[in-house]
Amino acid sequence: MRDLAGRLGYLVLAATAVAYLAVYATGLGRLPTAFDYLSILNTTLPLVFVAIGQSLVVLTGGIDLSVGGTVSLCVAVTAVAVTGFEQLPLVLAIGTACGVVNGLIVAAGRIAPILATLATLPIFTGAALWVLPVPGGSIPPQIRAVLTNPDLPTGLIWLGLAVAGWLVLRRTRFGMRVYAIGSDAGAARAVGVPVERVTFGVYALSGLCCALAAVFYVSTTTAGDANAGAPFILTSIAAVVVGGVAFTGGRGSAVGAVAGAAALALVIDVLFFAGIDPLYQALFQGLFLVVAVMLGSLAMLLRRAT
Amino acid sequence: MNLHRLASAAVILLLAAACGQAPQSTAGNTPAPDRKLKIALSNSFIGNQWRVEMENVFKAACAMPPYLAQVECSIYNAGNDVSTQSRQIANLISQGVDGIVINAASTSGLNGVVQQACDRGIVVVSFDNTVDAACGLTVNTDQIAFGKQLAQFIVDQLGGKGNVVMVTGVAGTGADNDRNKGAKEVFAANPGITVVATYSGMWDSATAQRATSAQLPALPQVDGVWVSGGTDGVIKAFGAAKRPMPVFGGEAENGFRKYMAGILTPKVTGMSIGQPPYLSVISLELARAVIKKEHPRESITIPFPVVTSESLKPGETVFPDLPDSFFADFTDSGPDAALILCQEAATDGTPCPGKTLTVNLGTS
Repeated sequence: MRDLAGRLGYLVLAATAVAYLAVYATGLGRLPTAFDYLSILNTTLPLVFVAIGQSLVVLTGGIDLSVGGTVSLCVAVTAVAVTGFEQLPLVLAIGTACGVVNGLIVAAGRIAPILATLATLPIFTGAALWVLPVPGGSIPPQIRAVLTNPDLPTGLIWLGLAVAGWLVLRRTRFGMRVYAIGSDAGAARAVGVPVERVTFGVYALSGLCCALAAVFYVSTTTAGDANAGAPFILTSIAAVVVGGVAFTGGRGSAVGAVAGAAALALVIDVLFFAGIDPLYQALFQGLFLVVAVMLGSLAMLLRRAT
Repeated sequence: MNLHRLASAAVILLLAAACGQAPQSTAGNTPAPDRKLKIALSNSFIGNQWRVEMENVFKAACAMPPYLAQVECSIYNAGNDVSTQSRQIANLISQGVDGIVINAASTSGLNGVVQQACDRGIVVVSFDNTVDAACGLTVNTDQIAFGKQLAQFIVDQLGGKGNVVMVTGVAGTGADNDRNKGAKEVFAANPGITVVATYSGMWDSATAQRATSAQLPALPQVDGVWVSGGTDGVIKAFGAAKRPMPVFGGEAENGFRKYMAGILTPKVTGMSIGQPPYLSVISLELARAVIKKEHPRESITIPFPVVTSESLKPGETVFPDLPDSFFADFTDSGPDAALILCQEAATDGTPCPGKTLTVNLGTS
């Protein structure tokens, strides 16, 4: 029972996956096909990347509301400027630059993360509207074939790389410092952890993750929209929470957030095949979140009791 | 309890299911004539009066002959979230529906999944906020013509001379851009007309009323007002400021039409045009007709339902017992009407008693 909180994401994902299979099979009289798995994978990948970035920030005890703006800006740039693989570094650089701005304000300016990123959110969104005033643009087919091929599970490779990247990162000195800051920034500083530098790095990485999410978003939808990022603010935070990352920082993992993101995507499908009245779908999505969060708190209480 | 093991078991189960199932085409074959067609409405957000009426008339149409016997309808709302709407459309593809009718969360964001639907032989019709994907059909109105026609009405009423105010909609949307563009063209072509103020009413009666009340003290005599949405609010602001009533060209709010018909005072001279909520029903009919091969695979532009103060008929184009915020153009009217729907279809989504619905797709 001790590690239930840390594994909340996997538990919730397993439960929603079983529920998905059950409602799908009852509804259609057969099991999901390759098309279903592939389309779940491809539409979930952008949220997976944003959630990884968000979980890094939350692990330090911060929050990044500007992910919506960063994703929007990078989606706009990708849809307008990317004509081949050689422009992708530009998009990643822009996303990282957005993160760097947040990092500077939070780490050097000592502004509360929620305020800093609340302020940069409309700035990045505004820049996105400036780059792409009306929805449109395109993605070269060769990029789509490699990133989110509609017929082959190429997305699995990128999902695997993202998870592997995190597993390596958490074992580095930087990764351990992230946890140290989240557990107790004062204590971390006392033992010589460069708190500002690590905090700065975390926001920059979140920006980079947003850029990756944007590239996958445009690759899946085949076009851009300057408002594309807005839903990711809440869904990335929800994924982190469902994934068992503690909002106080220092506890949880990005892989949990990935599981949380996948669970959130599957909930939409569960509601769809369960035939829930569309008017109440948002209500059930909310209930799902409440239950998941309550499970997390309960696990935390049990942990303290033992 | 080992949760890792539980999670792995679930993943293995999913993978096993994936491997055990050969990818199969779920649609694309012409349905047998006696089978009911499956047509789904995928809407984005449902947060305003217009969207509610749009879904209600869709529901009502599905419960009326001939659709009652021919079509099995379903409705899904995604909110303004492209990935949710993508998932829902992907699930509709898995369900093997014959047609999907879409009001999109993003004109470009659904291109990928709509293309996948087309590839599987599903007829996709989008309306209002349409989908860009070239393989899909669209049902829409000409927003530039909307702006032009209302502006021309004001110019004609004023004899080509006077001060005009423009109340615009939500910036950054295609419809707002197009409506303003059409209006500005007409006003610019008439040198006697001076546009003395342009401000946004956000397509919302309360916002338009507040904005107008704030602007009025600074404005000279106003002879005509062009409103992209929230017209009844603008009239109320003029009334509250005890200003003489100008000529109005505005949307299809029931409240505006009540003023035009003299049900509310003062009586207003005006022209009312709206984006009709029944676009959803026209799209349903287009999808049905294309699947049944009764209509060519072509997009259609439908004419706006237009009324003036003289042509208003209570119970047909203005509804004294419905609220001001209601969109009175949930039904078309006149001999060439695209379709005729009753009040309860728009308010409750219930079928019009004892009526067969005839939808006229025009000559296109």
